[in-house]
Amino acid sequence: MHFDPAILVDYWPLLLQGAWLTLQVSVAALLLGYAAGIAVALIALTPGWLPRLVAGFYVEILRNIPFIIILFVVYYGLPFWGIRLPATLVGTVALALFASAYYAEIVRAAILALPRGQFESARAIGMSPANAMWHVVAPQILRALVPPSTNMTLTMMKESAVLSSITVPELTYQSLVVQGNTFAPFEVFAAVASIYWLIAAAIAEASRRLERRVGAVQAEAVSRNRIADRYLSLVARRT
Amino acid sequence: MSAVPVLRVSNLTKRFHGVTTLDQVYLDVHAGQIVALIGPSGCGKSTLLRCLTWLEQPDDGFIEVAGKPLGRELMPGGVVRRHSRRQIDALRPQVGIVFQQFHLWPHMTALENVVRPQTVVLGRSRDEATRRGAELLMRLGLADRMDRHPHALSGGQKQRVAIARALAMDPALMLFDEPTSALDPELVGEVLAVLRTLADIGMTMLVVTHEIGFAASLADRIAFMDRGRILEEGPARDILAAPKEPRLQSFLDLVRTDHRIVRTTANPTE
Repeated sequence: MHFDPAILVDYWPLLLQGAWLTLQVSVAALLLGYAAGIAVALIALTPGWLPRLVAGFYVEILRNIPFIIILFVVYYGLPFWGIRLPATLVGTVALALFASAYYAEIVRAAILALPRGQFESARAIGMSPANAMWHVVAPQILRALVPPSTNMTLTMMKESAVLSSITVPELTYQSLVVQGNTFAPFEVFAAVASIYWLIAAAIAEASRRLERRVGAVQAEAVSRNRIADRYLSLVARRT
Repeated sequence: MSAVPVLRVSNLTKRFHGVTTLDQVYLDVHAGQIVALIGPSGCGKSTLLRCLTWLEQPDDGFIEVAGKPLGRELMPGGVVRRHSRRQIDALRPQVGIVFQQFHLWPHMTALENVVRPQTVVLGRSRDEATRRGAELLMRLGLADRMDRHPHALSGGQKQRVAIARALAMDPALMLFDEPTSALDPELVGEVLAVLRTLADIGMTMLVVTHEIGFAASLADRIAFMDRGRILEEGPARDILAAPKEPRLQSFLDLVRTDHRIVRTTANPTE
Protein backbone atom coordinates (compact mmCIF):
# COMPACT_ATOMS: atom_id res chain seq x y z
CA MET A 1 0.00 0.00 0.00
CA HIS A 2 1.55 3.26 -1.06
CA PHE A 3 0.45 6.74 -2.14
CA ASP A 4 0.43 6.89 -5.94
CA PRO A 5 0.63 10.48 -7.25
CA ALA A 6 0.60 9.23 -10.86
CA ILE A 7 -3.19 9.01 -10.64
CA LEU A 8 -3.39 12.75 -10.07
CA VAL A 9 -1.02 13.43 -12.93
CA ASP A 10 -3.37 11.58 -15.28
CA TYR A 11 -6.63 12.98 -14.01
CA TRP A 12 -5.86 16.55 -12.93
CA PRO A 13 -7.75 18.19 -15.86
CA LEU A 14 -10.97 16.55 -14.68
CA LEU A 15 -10.45 17.72 -11.10
CA LEU A 16 -9.59 21.22 -12.31
CA GLN A 17 -12.79 21.36 -14.37
CA GLY A 18 -14.72 20.32 -11.28
CA ALA A 19 -13.01 22.93 -9.12
CA TRP A 20 -13.74 25.63 -11.67
CA LEU A 21 -17.43 24.71 -11.73
CA THR A 22 -17.57 24.62 -7.92
CA LEU A 23 -16.16 28.14 -7.86
CA GLN A 24 -18.57 29.36 -10.55
CA VAL A 25 -21.61 27.82 -8.86
CA SER A 26 -20.58 29.24 -5.48
CA VAL A 27 -20.07 32.77 -6.79
CA ALA A 28 -23.37 32.67 -8.71
CA ALA A 29 -25.20 31.39 -5.62
CA LEU A 30 -23.52 34.07 -3.50
CA LEU A 31 -24.71 36.89 -5.77
CA LEU A 32 -28.18 35.43 -6.32
CA GLY A 33 -28.58 34.44 -2.67
CA TYR A 34 -27.42 37.80 -1.36
CA ALA A 35 -29.81 39.71 -3.60
CA ALA A 36 -32.67 37.51 -2.38
CA GLY A 37 -31.40 37.79 1.21
CA ILE A 38 -31.42 41.59 1.12
CA ALA A 39 -34.93 41.57 -0.34
CA VAL A 40 -36.19 39.16 2.34
CA ALA A 41 -34.52 41.19 5.12
CA LEU A 42 -36.18 44.40 3.88
CA ILE A 43 -39.54 42.66 3.66
CA ALA A 44 -39.07 41.33 7.20
CA LEU A 45 -38.49 44.90 8.44
CA THR A 46 -41.49 46.40 6.64
CA PRO A 47 -44.09 47.58 9.15
CA GLY A 48 -47.15 45.37 9.45
CA TRP A 49 -47.60 41.74 10.42
CA LEU A 50 -48.08 40.29 6.94
CA PRO A 51 -44.67 41.07 5.41
CA ARG A 52 -42.97 39.94 8.62
CA LEU A 53 -44.90 36.69 8.55
CA VAL A 54 -44.08 36.02 4.90
CA ALA A 55 -40.36 36.73 5.37
CA GLY A 56 -40.30 34.70 8.60
CA PHE A 57 -41.92 31.77 6.83
CA TYR A 58 -39.35 31.91 4.03
CA VAL A 59 -36.41 31.95 6.42
CA GLU A 60 -37.78 29.29 8.76
CA ILE A 61 -38.58 26.83 5.98
CA LEU A 62 -35.22 27.11 4.29
CA ARG A 63 -33.23 27.05 7.51
CA ASN A 64 -34.98 24.06 9.01
CA ILE A 65 -34.59 21.64 6.11
CA PRO A 66 -31.32 19.85 5.25
CA PHE A 67 -29.81 21.26 2.09
CA ILE A 68 -29.92 17.92 0.28
CA ILE A 69 -33.70 17.80 0.77
CA ILE A 70 -34.12 21.37 -0.50
CA LEU A 71 -32.09 20.32 -3.51
CA PHE A 72 -34.20 17.22 -4.18
CA VAL A 73 -37.48 19.11 -3.73
CA VAL A 74 -36.40 21.71 -6.29
CA TYR A 75 -34.78 19.23 -8.66
CA TYR A 76 -37.64 16.74 -8.71
CA GLY A 77 -40.34 19.35 -8.09
CA LEU A 78 -39.72 21.47 -11.18
CA PRO A 79 -40.38 18.66 -13.72
CA PHE A 80 -43.56 18.00 -11.78
CA TRP A 81 -44.72 21.43 -12.99
CA GLY A 82 -43.40 20.78 -16.48
CA ILE A 83 -40.22 22.81 -16.05
CA ARG A 84 -37.04 21.13 -17.23
CA LEU A 85 -33.77 22.91 -16.57
CA PRO A 86 -30.13 21.82 -16.63
CA ALA A 87 -28.98 20.26 -13.36
CA THR A 88 -26.25 22.88 -12.88
CA LEU A 89 -28.78 25.70 -13.05
CA VAL A 90 -31.21 23.97 -10.70
CA GLY A 91 -28.37 23.21 -8.30
CA THR A 92 -27.20 26.83 -8.30
CA VAL A 93 -30.70 28.12 -7.62
CA ALA A 94 -31.20 25.63 -4.78
CA LEU A 95 -27.87 26.64 -3.28
CA ALA A 96 -28.82 30.31 -3.57
CA LEU A 97 -32.18 29.64 -1.89
CA PHE A 98 -30.45 27.82 0.95
CA ALA A 99 -27.89 30.60 1.50
CA SER A 100 -30.42 33.43 1.06
CA ALA A 101 -32.24 32.50 4.26
CA TYR A 102 -29.04 32.94 6.26
CA TYR A 103 -27.97 36.07 4.37
CA ALA A 104 -31.41 37.54 5.10
CA GLU A 105 -30.90 36.99 8.82
CA ILE A 106 -27.40 38.50 8.67
CA VAL A 107 -28.67 41.63 6.90
CA ARG A 108 -31.71 41.92 9.16
CA ALA A 109 -29.60 41.64 12.31
CA ALA A 110 -27.12 44.26 11.03
CA ILE A 111 -29.91 46.72 10.28
CA LEU A 112 -31.53 46.14 13.67
CA ALA A 113 -28.20 46.62 15.43
CA LEU A 114 -28.00 50.18 14.12
CA PRO A 115 -29.61 52.70 16.51
CA ARG A 116 -33.16 53.35 15.40
CA GLY A 117 -32.58 57.09 15.53
CA GLN A 118 -30.40 56.86 12.43
CA PHE A 119 -33.25 55.70 10.23
CA GLU A 120 -35.78 57.90 12.01
CA SER A 121 -33.78 61.09 11.62
CA ALA A 122 -33.50 60.41 7.89
CA ARG A 123 -37.25 59.76 7.65
CA ALA A 124 -38.17 62.78 9.78
CA ILE A 125 -36.28 65.10 7.45
CA GLY A 126 -38.30 63.78 4.50
CA MET A 127 -36.24 60.95 3.00
CA SER A 128 -38.21 58.02 1.64
CA PRO A 129 -37.59 54.65 3.32
CA ALA A 130 -35.48 53.60 0.31
CA ASN A 131 -33.37 56.77 0.47
CA ALA A 132 -32.96 56.48 4.23
CA MET A 133 -31.74 52.91 3.74
CA TRP A 134 -29.39 53.84 0.91
CA HIS A 135 -27.88 57.05 2.27
CA VAL A 136 -27.94 56.44 6.01
CA VAL A 137 -28.34 52.77 6.96
CA ALA A 138 -26.46 50.86 4.25
CA PRO A 139 -23.11 52.68 4.49
CA GLN A 140 -23.05 52.08 8.23
CA ILE A 141 -23.75 48.35 8.22
CA LEU A 142 -21.48 47.26 5.33
CA ARG A 143 -18.53 46.41 7.52
CA ALA A 144 -20.57 44.46 10.05
CA LEU A 145 -21.94 42.33 7.22
CA VAL A 146 -18.60 41.02 5.99
CA PRO A 147 -17.53 38.51 8.70
CA PRO A 148 -20.84 36.64 9.12
CA SER A 149 -21.45 36.68 5.37
CA THR A 150 -18.02 35.15 4.84
CA ASN A 151 -18.84 32.32 7.24
CA MET A 152 -22.05 31.61 5.42
CA THR A 153 -20.38 31.76 2.01
CA LEU A 154 -17.77 29.22 3.11
CA THR A 155 -20.47 26.91 4.43
CA MET A 156 -22.44 27.32 1.23
CA MET A 157 -19.40 26.63 -0.96
CA LYS A 158 -18.73 23.39 0.93
CA GLU A 159 -22.39 22.46 0.76
CA SER A 160 -22.16 22.70 -3.05
CA ALA A 161 -20.54 19.23 -2.88
CA VAL A 162 -24.09 17.92 -2.43
CA LEU A 163 -24.88 19.02 -6.01
CA SER A 164 -22.92 15.93 -7.10
CA SER A 165 -25.99 13.90 -6.14
CA ILE A 166 -28.00 15.49 -8.99
CA THR A 167 -25.13 15.01 -11.48
CA VAL A 168 -23.76 18.54 -11.47
CA PRO A 169 -20.16 17.93 -12.62
CA GLU A 170 -18.55 19.97 -9.85
CA LEU A 171 -15.49 19.02 -7.85
CA THR A 172 -17.00 16.24 -5.72
CA TYR A 173 -18.75 14.67 -8.71
CA GLN A 174 -15.52 14.64 -10.71
CA SER A 175 -13.63 13.17 -7.79
CA LEU A 176 -16.17 10.33 -7.64
CA VAL A 177 -15.63 9.76 -11.37
CA VAL A 178 -11.87 9.69 -10.99
CA GLN A 179 -12.13 7.43 -7.99
CA GLY A 180 -14.38 5.06 -9.94
CA ASN A 181 -11.88 4.90 -12.78
CA THR A 182 -8.79 4.47 -10.66
CA PHE A 183 -9.96 2.68 -7.50
CA ALA A 184 -7.62 4.98 -5.58
CA PRO A 185 -9.95 6.81 -3.20
CA PHE A 186 -7.32 8.06 -0.79
CA GLU A 187 -5.19 9.84 -3.39
CA VAL A 188 -8.24 11.38 -5.04
CA PHE A 189 -10.01 12.58 -1.91
CA ALA A 190 -6.80 13.88 -0.37
CA ALA A 191 -6.29 15.96 -3.52
CA VAL A 192 -9.91 17.10 -3.52
CA ALA A 193 -9.71 18.09 0.13
CA SER A 194 -6.72 20.31 -0.68
CA ILE A 195 -8.56 21.88 -3.59
CA TYR A 196 -11.59 22.69 -1.40
CA TRP A 197 -9.21 24.14 1.15
CA LEU A 198 -7.66 26.34 -1.55
CA ILE A 199 -11.04 27.62 -2.71
CA ALA A 200 -12.04 28.37 0.87
CA ALA A 201 -8.76 30.15 1.51
CA ALA A 202 -9.32 32.25 -1.60
CA ILE A 203 -12.80 33.25 -0.40
CA ALA A 204 -11.46 34.10 3.06
CA GLU A 205 -8.70 36.22 1.53
CA ALA A 206 -11.17 38.04 -0.71
CA SER A 207 -13.29 38.72 2.35
CA ARG A 208 -10.31 40.09 4.28
CA ARG A 209 -9.56 42.49 1.44
CA LEU A 210 -13.19 43.54 1.22
CA GLU A 211 -13.34 44.12 4.95
CA ARG A 212 -10.20 46.23 4.81
CA ARG A 213 -11.62 48.29 1.97
CA VAL A 214 -15.01 48.79 3.57
CA GLY A 215 -13.22 49.40 6.86
CA ALA A 216 -10.97 52.02 5.27
CA VAL A 217 -14.01 54.12 4.47
CA GLN A 218 -15.09 54.02 8.10
CA ALA A 219 -11.56 54.33 9.49
CA GLU A 220 -11.13 57.49 7.48
CA ALA A 221 -13.76 58.96 9.73
CA VAL A 222 -11.78 57.97 12.82
CA SER A 223 -8.44 59.24 11.55
CA ARG A 224 -9.84 62.76 11.24
CA ASN A 225 -9.99 62.82 15.00
CA ARG A 226 -6.63 64.01 16.34
CA ILE A 227 -6.92 62.07 19.59
CA ALA A 228 -7.92 58.87 17.82
CA ASP A 229 -5.06 59.47 15.41
CA ARG A 230 -2.53 59.54 18.21
CA TYR A 231 -3.87 56.40 19.86
CA LEU A 232 -4.10 54.49 16.62
CA SER A 233 -0.55 55.39 15.63
CA LEU A 234 0.71 54.35 19.08
CA VAL A 235 -0.94 50.98 18.71
CA ALA A 236 0.46 50.64 15.22
CA ARG A 237 3.98 51.38 16.42
CA ARG A 238 3.80 48.88 19.25
CA THR A 239 2.69 46.00 17.07
CA MET B 1 -50.84 87.94 15.08
CA SER B 2 -51.31 86.24 11.77
CA ALA B 3 -54.49 84.31 11.16
CA VAL B 4 -53.03 80.93 10.27
CA PRO B 5 -50.84 79.45 13.00
CA VAL B 6 -47.58 77.77 11.95
CA LEU B 7 -48.62 74.75 13.95
CA ARG B 8 -52.13 73.78 14.87
CA VAL B 9 -52.72 70.61 16.81
CA SER B 10 -56.28 69.61 17.51
CA ASN B 11 -57.70 66.72 19.45
CA LEU B 12 -54.48 64.74 19.04
CA THR B 13 -54.72 61.36 20.72
CA LYS B 14 -52.20 58.56 20.85
CA ARG B 15 -52.55 55.24 22.63
CA PHE B 16 -49.91 52.57 23.14
CA HIS B 17 -51.40 49.16 23.90
CA GLY B 18 -54.44 50.73 25.50
CA VAL B 19 -52.51 53.32 27.50
CA THR B 20 -53.42 56.85 26.45
CA THR B 21 -50.16 58.76 26.03
CA LEU B 22 -51.67 61.78 24.33
CA ASP B 23 -55.18 62.68 25.38
CA GLN B 24 -56.94 65.18 23.13
CA VAL B 25 -54.07 67.62 22.83
CA TYR B 26 -54.83 71.09 21.47
CA LEU B 27 -51.98 73.50 20.77
CA ASP B 28 -51.42 76.48 18.50
CA VAL B 29 -48.01 77.95 17.78
CA HIS B 30 -47.96 81.21 15.88
CA ALA B 31 -45.26 82.57 13.60
CA GLY B 32 -42.15 83.74 15.42
CA GLN B 33 -43.23 82.35 18.77
CA ILE B 34 -41.14 80.18 21.04
CA VAL B 35 -43.32 77.80 22.99
CA ALA B 36 -41.82 75.71 25.77
CA LEU B 37 -43.53 72.46 26.55
CA ILE B 38 -42.94 71.46 30.16
CA GLY B 39 -44.17 68.67 32.36
CA PRO B 40 -43.06 65.69 34.42
CA SER B 41 -41.24 62.89 32.62
CA GLY B 42 -43.50 60.39 30.93
CA CYS B 43 -46.24 62.97 30.48
CA GLY B 44 -46.21 62.66 26.68
CA LYS B 45 -44.00 65.59 25.65
CA SER B 46 -41.66 63.53 23.50
CA THR B 47 -44.53 61.48 22.09
CA LEU B 48 -46.15 64.72 20.97
CA LEU B 49 -42.98 65.71 19.08
CA ARG B 50 -42.77 62.26 17.49
CA CYS B 51 -46.38 62.59 16.35
CA LEU B 52 -45.66 66.04 14.90
CA THR B 53 -42.98 64.48 12.67
CA TRP B 54 -45.21 61.47 12.02
CA LEU B 55 -42.62 59.08 13.47
CA GLU B 56 -45.58 57.92 15.54
CA GLN B 57 -49.00 57.89 13.97
CA PRO B 58 -51.57 59.50 16.23
CA ASP B 59 -54.75 57.49 16.65
CA ASP B 60 -56.98 60.50 16.41
CA GLY B 61 -56.87 64.23 15.80
CA PHE B 62 -55.29 66.59 13.32
CA ILE B 63 -52.01 68.40 12.72
CA GLU B 64 -51.69 71.43 10.48
CA VAL B 65 -48.36 72.94 9.51
CA ALA B 66 -48.65 76.45 8.05
CA GLY B 67 -52.23 75.72 7.12
CA LYS B 68 -51.45 72.39 5.43
CA PRO B 69 -52.74 69.19 7.00
CA LEU B 70 -50.15 66.58 7.96
CA GLY B 71 -50.96 62.89 7.95
CA ARG B 72 -54.72 63.10 7.69
CA GLU B 73 -57.30 65.71 6.95
CA LEU B 74 -60.94 66.36 7.46
CA MET B 75 -62.75 66.47 4.13
CA PRO B 76 -66.05 68.23 3.53
CA GLY B 77 -68.81 66.00 4.83
CA GLY B 78 -66.81 64.89 7.84
CA VAL B 79 -64.79 62.21 6.06
CA VAL B 80 -61.25 61.74 7.34
CA ARG B 81 -58.77 61.14 4.55
CA ARG B 82 -55.43 59.55 5.36
CA HIS B 83 -52.43 60.85 3.50
CA SER B 84 -50.10 58.63 1.52
CA ARG B 85 -46.52 58.13 2.63
CA ARG B 86 -45.39 60.41 -0.20
CA GLN B 87 -47.68 63.23 0.90
CA ILE B 88 -46.38 62.95 4.44
CA ASP B 89 -42.74 62.84 3.32
CA ALA B 90 -43.33 65.91 1.17
CA LEU B 91 -44.44 67.94 4.19
CA ARG B 92 -41.84 66.59 6.62
CA PRO B 93 -39.03 69.03 5.69
CA GLN B 94 -41.37 71.79 6.89
CA VAL B 95 -41.03 70.48 10.43
CA GLY B 96 -37.40 70.47 11.52
CA ILE B 97 -36.61 68.35 14.54
CA VAL B 98 -33.51 68.30 16.71
CA PHE B 99 -33.49 65.06 18.64
CA GLN B 100 -32.32 64.72 22.19
CA GLN B 101 -29.41 62.55 21.01
CA PHE B 102 -29.10 64.54 17.74
CA HIS B 103 -28.87 61.38 15.58
CA LEU B 104 -26.26 62.81 13.25
CA TRP B 105 -25.09 60.38 10.59
CA PRO B 106 -21.63 59.27 11.74
CA HIS B 107 -20.35 58.21 8.32
CA MET B 108 -20.70 61.73 6.90
CA THR B 109 -18.83 64.93 7.72
CA ALA B 110 -20.66 67.74 9.47
CA LEU B 111 -21.11 69.51 6.16
CA GLU B 112 -22.31 66.36 4.39
CA ASN B 113 -24.88 65.82 7.14
CA VAL B 114 -26.35 69.17 6.18
CA VAL B 115 -25.89 68.82 2.42
CA ARG B 116 -27.20 65.29 1.78
CA PRO B 117 -30.85 65.81 2.83
CA GLN B 118 -31.03 68.92 0.68
CA THR B 119 -29.93 67.08 -2.45
CA VAL B 120 -31.92 63.92 -1.74
CA VAL B 121 -35.15 65.42 -0.42
CA LEU B 122 -35.37 68.87 -1.98
CA GLY B 123 -33.50 68.02 -5.17
CA ARG B 124 -31.08 70.92 -4.79
CA SER B 125 -27.87 70.81 -6.78
CA ARG B 126 -24.75 69.83 -4.85
CA ASP B 127 -23.27 73.28 -5.32
CA GLU B 128 -26.33 75.03 -4.03
CA ALA B 129 -26.73 72.63 -1.11
CA THR B 130 -23.05 73.01 -0.17
CA ARG B 131 -23.29 76.78 -0.29
CA ARG B 132 -26.37 76.76 1.91
CA GLY B 133 -24.90 74.20 4.31
CA ALA B 134 -21.59 76.03 4.68
CA GLU B 135 -23.41 79.30 5.26
CA LEU B 136 -25.54 77.81 8.04
CA LEU B 137 -22.64 76.04 9.75
CA MET B 138 -20.64 79.26 9.57
CA ARG B 139 -23.44 81.21 11.14
CA LEU B 140 -23.65 78.64 13.93
CA GLY B 141 -19.94 79.03 14.63
CA LEU B 142 -18.77 75.80 13.01
CA ALA B 143 -16.74 77.25 10.16
CA ASP B 144 -13.66 75.24 11.16
CA ARG B 145 -15.56 72.03 11.95
CA MET B 146 -17.29 71.37 8.63
CA ASP B 147 -14.96 68.56 7.54
CA ARG B 148 -15.11 66.76 10.88
CA HIS B 149 -17.13 63.63 11.42
CA PRO B 150 -19.66 63.73 14.26
CA HIS B 151 -17.56 61.68 16.71
CA ALA B 152 -14.86 64.34 16.49
CA LEU B 153 -17.28 67.03 17.60
CA SER B 154 -18.30 68.05 21.10
CA GLY B 155 -21.90 67.63 22.23
CA GLY B 156 -22.67 71.31 21.70
CA GLN B 157 -21.13 71.23 18.23
CA LYS B 158 -23.12 68.11 17.31
CA GLN B 159 -26.28 69.84 18.38
CA ARG B 160 -25.51 72.83 16.19
CA VAL B 161 -24.87 70.55 13.21
CA ALA B 162 -28.24 68.90 13.88
CA ILE B 163 -29.83 72.36 13.99
CA ALA B 164 -28.14 73.33 10.71
CA ARG B 165 -29.28 70.07 9.12
CA ALA B 166 -32.91 70.86 9.96
CA LEU B 167 -32.64 74.57 9.08
CA ALA B 168 -31.22 73.79 5.65
CA MET B 169 -34.61 72.37 4.69
CA ASP B 170 -36.14 75.83 5.27
CA PRO B 171 -38.66 74.57 7.83
CA ALA B 172 -41.69 76.55 8.94
CA LEU B 173 -41.27 75.21 12.46
CA MET B 174 -38.45 73.80 14.55
CA LEU B 175 -38.97 71.20 17.25
CA PHE B 176 -36.43 70.61 20.00
CA ASP B 177 -36.53 67.55 22.22
CA GLU B 178 -34.83 68.30 25.55
CA PRO B 179 -32.07 70.44 24.01
CA THR B 180 -30.20 70.78 27.31
CA SER B 181 -30.37 67.26 28.65
CA ALA B 182 -27.69 65.55 26.55
CA LEU B 183 -25.18 68.32 27.23
CA ASP B 184 -23.03 69.33 30.18
CA PRO B 185 -24.85 71.74 32.50
CA GLU B 186 -22.42 74.57 31.74
CA LEU B 187 -23.46 74.43 28.09
CA VAL B 188 -27.06 75.41 28.85
CA GLY B 189 -26.16 79.06 28.31
CA GLU B 190 -24.68 78.21 24.93
CA VAL B 191 -27.83 76.35 23.83
CA LEU B 192 -29.88 79.29 24.99
CA ALA B 193 -27.76 81.65 22.89
CA VAL B 194 -28.13 79.46 19.80
CA LEU B 195 -31.91 79.23 20.18
CA ARG B 196 -32.05 83.00 20.71
CA THR B 197 -30.24 83.58 17.39
CA LEU B 198 -32.86 81.42 15.75
CA ALA B 199 -35.54 83.50 17.41
CA ASP B 200 -33.88 86.65 16.06
CA ILE B 201 -34.30 85.43 12.49
CA GLY B 202 -37.97 84.84 13.23
CA MET B 203 -37.93 81.05 13.55
CA THR B 204 -40.97 79.48 15.16
CA MET B 205 -40.04 76.92 17.79
CA LEU B 206 -41.58 74.35 20.04
CA VAL B 207 -39.13 73.30 22.73
CA VAL B 208 -39.65 70.35 25.02
CA THR B 209 -37.76 70.84 28.26
CA HIS B 210 -37.92 69.99 31.92
CA GLU B 211 -35.70 72.86 32.93
CA ILE B 212 -38.00 75.59 34.15
CA GLY B 213 -35.24 78.19 34.24
CA PHE B 214 -34.40 77.44 30.64
CA ALA B 215 -38.05 77.68 29.63
CA ALA B 216 -38.47 80.93 31.56
CA SER B 217 -35.54 82.67 29.92
CA LEU B 218 -36.34 81.46 26.41
CA ALA B 219 -40.03 81.03 25.79
CA ASP B 220 -42.77 83.48 24.91
CA ARG B 221 -45.36 80.99 25.97
CA ILE B 222 -45.35 77.89 28.12
CA ALA B 223 -47.57 74.87 27.80
CA PHE B 224 -47.80 72.51 30.76
CA MET B 225 -48.48 68.89 30.04
CA ASP B 226 -49.43 66.12 32.44
CA ARG B 227 -50.74 62.63 31.80
CA GLY B 228 -51.06 63.25 28.08
CA ARG B 229 -53.01 66.49 28.31
CA ILE B 230 -52.07 70.12 28.01
CA LEU B 231 -53.49 71.45 31.25
CA GLU B 232 -52.43 75.05 31.03
CA GLU B 233 -50.99 77.25 28.30
CA GLY B 234 -50.22 80.95 28.26
CA PRO B 235 -47.59 83.70 28.34
CA ALA B 236 -44.44 82.40 30.07
CA ARG B 237 -44.45 85.01 32.81
CA ASP B 238 -48.08 84.39 33.78
CA ILE B 239 -47.67 80.63 33.82
CA LEU B 240 -44.65 80.72 36.08
CA ALA B 241 -45.80 83.55 38.33
CA ALA B 242 -49.42 82.59 38.77
CA PRO B 243 -50.14 78.99 37.82
CA LYS B 244 -53.82 78.22 38.07
CA GLU B 245 -53.75 74.49 37.66
CA PRO B 246 -52.95 72.75 40.97
CA ARG B 247 -50.86 70.07 39.24
CA LEU B 248 -48.75 72.76 37.58
CA GLN B 249 -48.34 74.46 40.97
CA SER B 250 -47.09 71.30 42.60
CA PHE B 251 -44.87 70.51 39.59
CA LEU B 252 -43.27 73.97 39.81
CA ASP B 253 -42.87 73.64 43.58
CA LEU B 254 -41.21 70.29 43.15
CA VAL B 255 -38.83 71.47 40.43
CA ARG B 256 -37.90 74.65 42.31
CA THR B 257 -37.33 72.75 45.55
CA ASP B 258 -35.14 70.28 43.69
CA HIS B 259 -33.04 73.13 42.36
CA ARG B 260 -32.51 74.56 45.82
CA ILE B 261 -31.40 71.19 47.15
CA VAL B 262 -28.96 70.72 44.32
CA ARG B 263 -27.50 74.17 44.85
CA THR B 264 -27.04 73.84 48.59
CA THR B 265 -25.37 70.45 48.29
CA ALA B 266 -23.16 71.64 45.45
CA ASN B 267 -22.00 74.79 47.26
CA PRO B 268 -22.14 74.13 51.00
CA THR B 269 -20.60 77.53 51.74
CA GLU B 270 -23.56 79.39 50.29
